[in-house]
Amino acid sequence: MAPTTSGPHGPETPTTRRAVVVGGNRIPFARAGGAYARVSNLDMLTAALDGLVARFGLQDEVLGEVVAGAVLKHSRDFNMTREAVLGSPLSARTPAYDLQQACATGLEAVVSVANKIRLGQVESGVAGGVDSASDVPIAVSEGLRRTLLTLARAKTVPQRLKAAAALRPGDLKPATPRTDEPRTGLSMGEHQALTTAQWGITREAQDEIALTSHQRLAAAYDAGFFDDLVTPYRGLVRDQNLRADTSLEKLAKLKPAFGTRLDTPATMTAGNSTPLTDGASTVLLASDDWAQAHGLTPLAAVVDAETAAVDFVHGEDGLLMAPVFAVPRLLARQGLTLEDLDYVEIHEAFASTVLTTLAAWEDKEFCVTRLGLDDALGTVDRDRLNVHGSSLAAGHPFAATGGRIVATVATALHRRRAELLAAGEDRPVRALVSVCAAGGLGVAAILEAA
Amino acid sequence: MSAPDPARSEERLATSPALGGLYARAGLAAARDAVTAPVRRVLGGTGDEPADLPVRTLRLDDLRPDPAHLTAYQHLLGEPAADALPAGYLHVLAFPLTTALLVRPDFPLPALGMVHLSNRVELREPVRLGDRLDIRAWAQDLRPHPTGTQVDLVAEVRRHGAASGSPAAWHGVSTYLARGVRLGDQAGDTARPARERFEAPLPTGRWALDAGVGRRYAAVSGDANPIHLHPLSARALGFPRAIAHGMYTAARALADVGARRGDTYAWDVDFAAPVLLPSTPVVRVAPADDGWDVTAWDARRGRLHLRTRVRPLG
Repeated sequence: MAPTTSGPHGPETPTTRRAVVVGGNRIPFARAGGAYARVSNLDMLTAALDGLVARFGLQDEVLGEVVAGAVLKHSRDFNMTREAVLGSPLSARTPAYDLQQACATGLEAVVSVANKIRLGQVESGVAGGVDSASDVPIAVSEGLRRTLLTLARAKTVPQRLKAAAALRPGDLKPATPRTDEPRTGLSMGEHQALTTAQWGITREAQDEIALTSHQRLAAAYDAGFFDDLVTPYRGLVRDQNLRADTSLEKLAKLKPAFGTRLDTPATMTAGNSTPLTDGASTVLLASDDWAQAHGLTPLAAVVDAETAAVDFVHGEDGLLMAPVFAVPRLLARQGLTLEDLDYVEIHEAFASTVLTTLAAWEDKEFCVTRLGLDDALGTVDRDRLNVHGSSLAAGHPFAATGGRIVATVATALHRRRAELLAAGEDRPVRALVSVCAAGGLGVAAILEAA
Repeated sequence: MSAPDPARSEERLATSPALGGLYARAGLAAARDAVTAPVRRVLGGTGDEPADLPVRTLRLDDLRPDPAHLTAYQHLLGEPAADALPAGYLHVLAFPLTTALLVRPDFPLPALGMVHLSNRVELREPVRLGDRLDIRAWAQDLRPHPTGTQVDLVAEVRRHGAASGSPAAWHGVSTYLARGVRLGDQAGDTARPARERFEAPLPTGRWALDAGVGRRYAAVSGDANPIHLHPLSARALGFPRAIAHGMYTAARALADVGARRGDTYAWDVDFAAPVLLPSTPVVRVAPADDGWDVTAWDARRGRLHLRTRVRPLG
């Protein structure tokens, strides 16, 4: 249980304790319309959870809670995470809830579970996320929906006829989900193209980020890094989007996909933007006591987190720039600088998202005027950035990305710490995780090797 | 259950038999029987029919389950689309072989109109998508029943290349009854046992089975027996409406137990009154011994449909 103290406001005021990442499990990510085209969000989340249960011997275990979500979600999946628990070998007495914060869903789920553990409200929990770009909900048009609702309320034949007569042929066209920003009408790629132009990011720099992502992810798979983190599913053993043999020449041949109507050169292609992807991820979190009681080794502690939002609607900042604001606040609260981080994970929504984020932190004027700092935040060492590859290579099933990154970086932290200790160096080993999201949202978190 | 007698002849099939053709053959045999049976009855015996089962094992090697087919099965039955194959899916894979056995001319019972009495399955090793499988099927234990003759259709699934004598990963026994069929020197009607009185327990759930359930399971399982497809085809075979496949209801019961059945388990079903479509049987899932019992019944008529026992295997 959490340590408690007697305080002036009541008999027990909980103080906080450490929440640790014990491990993770995900299924390989598939390209939309690929290996998972016929399976649902619930299927994939259940599969990822099944693998986690198998890895950590959690059959019939009552966990504190399971928190997960999906961005593109069927209305029938209103209780998706609870349904995944009921379909898994976990005890049916494990509570669950759904959470949704666009592409930050997975990371926010990790933060939420970690916070409850830190407060002593739960001893263990799973954070996760899933998304399918293949098995998306299709709704009826707004006109048909209104007509059907009016028909359901109509009591007399003339009322029904009147309601039905309001239907227009165009109303029969189904409505597929869109990822455009509702308030600007621009897609995420179009928004990022504006930010790319604003910061003058080149095509070459973006292609290099993409190439590195593929090379590093492939190398990590080859080294067996993901053996403890990924369970094959539906015939996929590695992420379907991974192109180990890609090259700058191949990437340079791709036509621009976003920003083609701007005055500046269009630089964003299918190669340096994440593809639509299907997949699911889970992370097991616990208190130190719970981990010890279950014979499990803590990998990393979830130290702190910060969420930010930007006003992209009125053109103040780019849609995906919120983490630029969250990270300096988080570092300041922890008394840390970029140099104190062994790993920096910046979610590759687009290669240029990573580059505009880095550019903003290196820009003194921006850091002083917009972030309220005395100087530029600093430069991120590329050797510490996304060292096991990121979303450009793995793909990005929206809500599943946070869990992928946290499990990956927690494993890396644990190994790095062991290497340093073996070399006689006893110091904290830390990672920063930053994920941008639709709606001008961004979540950042700091993890430290346990 | 024992492995088949090594003296049995094995017949290797190159591909899984197409069930549509099998039912056409069963239909032809049924038509032939319809013509000749009254004559035989008048002649006062059934001695012209073979009283023994053919000594034959059908075998299909290196079957590779298809992910899309597996997913369709799992979605229809309410199973999560996991890579582990549900025991009921392995039954579907083996079903063409057992059906091929009983539509052969030397099979002593008429294929159409046989009643599925019970089903015993043991999933002894997890079988996963990507595994290559060998399937063997044979018939055994032809024996009298108070209302006719019953027979066991046995199927086994092994990993590809495993010796026939080695323990099977999946072992299934389907017991069928041919009503009114008497073989050899078998005695006349034995006393029919009194029907078990069914006391309905408190339900835990309900299955909403629409009229298309039989067609959908037929499409996925390949079991397109006309009694499951349409009220008219079912009426032609003596049922007031189409009836749900017994194995569909049994597999729904298994899915209701869910992942907590474990990786290996025994799954036994006894079928009572058929489920006429459409209908909404009520269900009770309850812990029992070291596993779960699932009972489904018609609440309005108080008639039992099936009892299922699912027990984890250690």
